[in-house]
Amino acid sequence: MEEKLSREEILHVANLARIKLTEEEIEKYRVQLKKLLNDVEKINEVEGYDNDILIAPWESNTTLREDSEGSMLDPKAVVENAPRHSGNYISVPVVIGESEGA
Amino acid sequence: MSNYIPTIGIEVHVELKTKTKIFSNSTNGYGQMANSLTNVIDLGYPGTLPTLNKEVINLAIKAATVLNCNIRKEMHFDRKNYFYPDNSKNYQITQARTPIGYDGYVEIDDDGIKKKIYIEEMHIEEDTCKSTHRQDKTLLDFNRAGVPLIEIVTKPCIKSAKEAKLYLEKLKELLFYTDVSDCKMEEGSMRADANVSLRKNESDPFGTKAEIKNIGSISNVGLSIEKEIARQSKIYDEGGSIEPQTRRYDDKIGDTVLMRVKETGNDYRYFPEPDIPFVIITDDMIDNVVKTIPMLPEERKEKYIEKGILEANAIKLIQNRQLSDFINDLLEEDINFKIASNLLLGDISAYLNKEDKKLNETTLNKERFIELVNLMSNNTLTSKNLKEILEKIMTSDDTIENIMKESGVQNITDDSMIKDVVKKVIEANKESVDDYKAGHDRAIKYLMGQVMKETKGSVNPKMAMDILIEELK
Repeated sequence: MEEKLSREEILHVANLARIKLTEEEIEKYRVQLKKLLNDVEKINEVEGYDNDILIAPWESNTTLREDSEGSMLDPKAVVENAPRHSGNYISVPVVIGESEGA
Repeated sequence: MSNYIPTIGIEVHVELKTKTKIFSNSTNGYGQMANSLTNVIDLGYPGTLPTLNKEVINLAIKAATVLNCNIRKEMHFDRKNYFYPDNSKNYQITQARTPIGYDGYVEIDDDGIKKKIYIEEMHIEEDTCKSTHRQDKTLLDFNRAGVPLIEIVTKPCIKSAKEAKLYLEKLKELLFYTDVSDCKMEEGSMRADANVSLRKNESDPFGTKAEIKNIGSISNVGLSIEKEIARQSKIYDEGGSIEPQTRRYDDKIGDTVLMRVKETGNDYRYFPEPDIPFVIITDDMIDNVVKTIPMLPEERKEKYIEKGILEANAIKLIQNRQLSDFINDLLEEDINFKIASNLLLGDISAYLNKEDKKLNETTLNKERFIELVNLMSNNTLTSKNLKEILEKIMTSDDTIENIMKESGVQNITDDSMIKDVVKKVIEANKESVDDYKAGHDRAIKYLMGQVMKETKGSVNPKMAMDILIEELK
């Protein structure tokens, strides 16, 4: 079995995580990530493996919460807890493009 | 005209009308001070856990029911992983594998031809925070983070911009009437994406699609699809090929523009949300929700037409929920519904618009409205006189009859009184009478005008005209 991930695989994952890697890091993660993957793959060897166990390994189901309002945070405290803010907004470096989600 | 067959699929995000957010008990609100409707869960602080709002499930069951979907009885949530500042957890909780609703349809009416727009699936997810892009920074408001959404995905079965618009109008009507959402596209509580591809023949496989994101109004959905069809046709005509990409509709230039080349589904690395165990939907839960579904627009329209309301007015009533609910409350009454609908859509709507009021903010209740409709049907009150006393009708609790008496707008419905006036007018306008008798039809209008002037408009015009014609014989 190949003991390393490919350079492209590492760069792809890094891109999804929006991080830059040095050449040294790329080589290090090719080995480390592959080792992680191999460890996770051991799950497949478990007998009677059931997908549902991965979703919820316990027997009780979700209890639903009533739709009634609770306390909220002070907006000032919220924005001051962020590295940067601008008025009542949390401020982050300018991003191009639109959201991936929703 | 394009030489290609368009295939269109629509994805709609709808914010649910709950009091609180999907996974936390902070307020689900719009237009409040930035970051004032949040708690640690919405902000994605480490160690926090989501708790699922019961009302979200109820509203999603309701939506699935009116969209004719099957409802999944055992479902779970998944994490959609992506890095972007609108999502502080770095994942969005959604339903990738077990959407609550599936295999539904909405029926549209395209100039009398009914067509089913098939719904692939409908799932529940959380909204992201709102980001505003400035020149040098991006500003985040987490009030929207965690607002419950349902996403409704059609099959690629829409053939034109017109069908897309009809589908969205119908969807909006259904979700609005069931109180699932307020469906305000301008406030972002309903947002549409359109997937558009072209192919030469029905037998060809689907072409590569482009996705147009976050279109801000139903009419822009139509326009952007038309533009996108034109763009792709041109590329194919010139022998080119379509790249899978995300575009957006730019209102200012009236065309779609490129946002980015699409990432593929696998890059979201979906996996089951371990913090939320299976959600079980029981038949009792479904029954309890179905009981609360009010009469839907389609049925309302049929009932209105049955009662004698013109189709155009029936449609207008449905577009105005408060008026439609008001009429619905009267359906068992024996009144003239044509007059009732004219009143509501005419003078009463004009009054409400002018005063910027809702119908339930006036004193006009069911009983007084019935009295009003009856007074108008038996010609006791003319529309001219109604205009004079409308404000009183809408602001006092008195009976309409009393208001008429106090305002002195008693109608002359007494035949002999009208006859006296008519005779007087004929006497005083010999010339016009001669003209009329010589075949100048217009002369009668002048005479009629004199009658109205003489009675200060308090006479029923139809009665007066009948008497005038009779007297001129």
